[in-house]
Amino acid sequence: MKHKIFSLLIIAAILIPFTIVQGAETIKIGALYTMTGRGGQYGKDSEVAIKIALDEVNAKGLPGGAKLDVIITDDKNPQYAVSVAKRYITDEKCKFLFGIISTAIGLAVTEVSKEHKVIFVGTDHAGTDLTANKFQKYYFRSSNNTFQSMMAGAYYLKDEVKNWKKIAYIGPDYAYGRDQWMELKWGLDKLGVKYDVVGEYWPKLYEPDYTSYITAIMKAAPDVLVNGMWGGDTVAFIKQAKPYGLFSKMKYFHVDAGGNYEALAGLGADMPEGIIMSARHHNNWPETPANKTYVEKFYKAAGRYPSYAAEGAYVGIHMIAEAIRKVGNANDTEALIKALEGMKIPCPEDPPGFTSYIDPKTHQIVQVQAIGTTVKNDKFPPAKYMLGNFKVYPAEKLWPNFEYIDYMTKVKGK
Amino acid sequence: MDINTFIAQFISGLSTAMLLFLISSGLTLIFGVVNVLNFAHGSFYLLGTYFAYQLMQLFNNFWVGLLVGAIGAGLVGMVIEFFFLRRIYGRAQEGAFQLLMTFAFILILDDVVKFIWGTEYKTIPKPASLAGSLNIGSVMVPSYNVFIIILGLLVVVFAWYFLTKTDTGKMVRASSLDRIMLGLLGTNVPMIMTLVFGVATAMGGLAGVLAAPLRTVTPGAGVEFIIDSMIVVVIGGFGNFWGALLGALIIGEVLSFGILWMPELATVLTFIVMIIVLIVKPEGLLAKKAVGRK
Repeated sequence: MKHKIFSLLIIAAILIPFTIVQGAETIKIGALYTMTGRGGQYGKDSEVAIKIALDEVNAKGLPGGAKLDVIITDDKNPQYAVSVAKRYITDEKCKFLFGIISTAIGLAVTEVSKEHKVIFVGTDHAGTDLTANKFQKYYFRSSNNTFQSMMAGAYYLKDEVKNWKKIAYIGPDYAYGRDQWMELKWGLDKLGVKYDVVGEYWPKLYEPDYTSYITAIMKAAPDVLVNGMWGGDTVAFIKQAKPYGLFSKMKYFHVDAGGNYEALAGLGADMPEGIIMSARHHNNWPETPANKTYVEKFYKAAGRYPSYAAEGAYVGIHMIAEAIRKVGNANDTEALIKALEGMKIPCPEDPPGFTSYIDPKTHQIVQVQAIGTTVKNDKFPPAKYMLGNFKVYPAEKLWPNFEYIDYMTKVKGK
Repeated sequence: MDINTFIAQFISGLSTAMLLFLISSGLTLIFGVVNVLNFAHGSFYLLGTYFAYQLMQLFNNFWVGLLVGAIGAGLVGMVIEFFFLRRIYGRAQEGAFQLLMTFAFILILDDVVKFIWGTEYKTIPKPASLAGSLNIGSVMVPSYNVFIIILGLLVVVFAWYFLTKTDTGKMVRASSLDRIMLGLLGTNVPMIMTLVFGVATAMGGLAGVLAAPLRTVTPGAGVEFIIDSMIVVVIGGFGNFWGALLGALIIGEVLSFGILWMPELATVLTFIVMIIVLIVKPEGLLAKKAVGRK
């Protein structure tokens, strides 16, 4: 008997440390971001935010002492991103796919996620398709889609902009630019706003010279000019349009990505005052401790203020960690999906009294939208203007909108 | 179309054309004289911009930035030609080596810029004297755009004088026709090629600094011009300096009036023009047929 007890103790002594080692697994997340060229800043900022979120998550702890680890690869193009995503799953044994700036790449990688039944948390790309007509149950998004921005924009145009009738649009000639215009018009029609479209302009993405577009827009003389550009294109357009007096001749309206911090910083003193903009995250709004802490942490880590893309990555890591905590492990994908559906996830951009959550039917994060106008503010250098005078639109008024999803499915197909 | 609209679109087109010309003239000069299709030409545009940005941080003077940006890009161009490109001249399959090497320099220079200056957008403001607008009749035109048009025209005049009236210019033209014969006559052809590469990349850098107050200073910005510059060069004729001017004027004005009349087709208009030229005169509008080179 003594021998048996002694033997059991020895076996236990051998197995217990082994069990602890087994429990302290590293859960790999395979991320894809644009790390070079024009979009490189978004990848770099997302990388910083991921590091901040990982430190927070790992400090708080995960079941069994597990740790999250994120591998980041430059996504380059849809074909390459698909090959990396497959490698992440088959060779690296990643439990989650993560990130992606471009909607085109997001649409390609969501197919990999569906095929391999691996959860994909999209953190930046905003094409509505992914949580609408192209929905698949393994996909979740931690930042808002363009419909949420443009529906809020439709409310803003209806309620806040007076005496306008003629509207024109300029946006990059690909899905992101085309969708914003379709969504805004759909929203305006739903709200019963009457308008005349006097011009639609489709420069290529990264168009360096907008001079001829600007003079053509001036001739069309809309009351409201809607812009669907992002990043450096916004900077170039505004720099080139300002000396033509465009901003004093019409209302300028740019509510998905116009107010991105990197554009405000890139324009500096060249930013016109009083133009209508928004972004998926504002460094100066809401003035909550959570947002201030997030922005300060980022600044401390990077030596600069974050672009909007960082917040989606930061929230995405916390979403995954919270789902693992609820389920107790990262292996039961179906249970993780259930845990994510309807999950309340506090975000830096949440105003007091509201917590963002994942819509269980579309897997889209549901968030308030705040649209403002540019005001002088040099508290976030090198930006000289930030957004202020915010109008806030409740999350539930914007998403989910199944009527629009049906419309989109009819127009664009499944 | 009323006269004011015509003037506004014409001047817009001219301003676009002059920046395109400044970039593509360097590209075509390198091809014509050095016989290299320099895919990395946009990277010199980028380097010029960042050199100017750096200088402006120190001296806060646009004109110093303009000078240093152009000279800096030209010096880097000369170093690259001297130490790298020169090694592949005359090799079997030189074209493939050119493509690989110049493409590699796009990636290397882009990463160098990212490493030194970061990925954030930088700002180069216009000089205060050119920040306003001029009225031509009742058409408002930014002073800075007028400045670019005038500077572009000055470059054209200077290039004409240099290439046709100076001995060095004549040697540059001769080296584009037959570099072996020129070498046999005792001219230091490799030095001419390095100099031409330097001047051409300096023009790329100059265009980068000139464009910076109107555009975004960011890594990757140089790549965006290569396609448009190539189209200009194809239309005008590969290696033909004046062809680059004509090509840039055509593209600038076609784009400008095309955006006004058929904005839906704006992104394909330049390609349509190129296809028409390739069908009608495949060697380019100002190129001579069956030119015996090298």
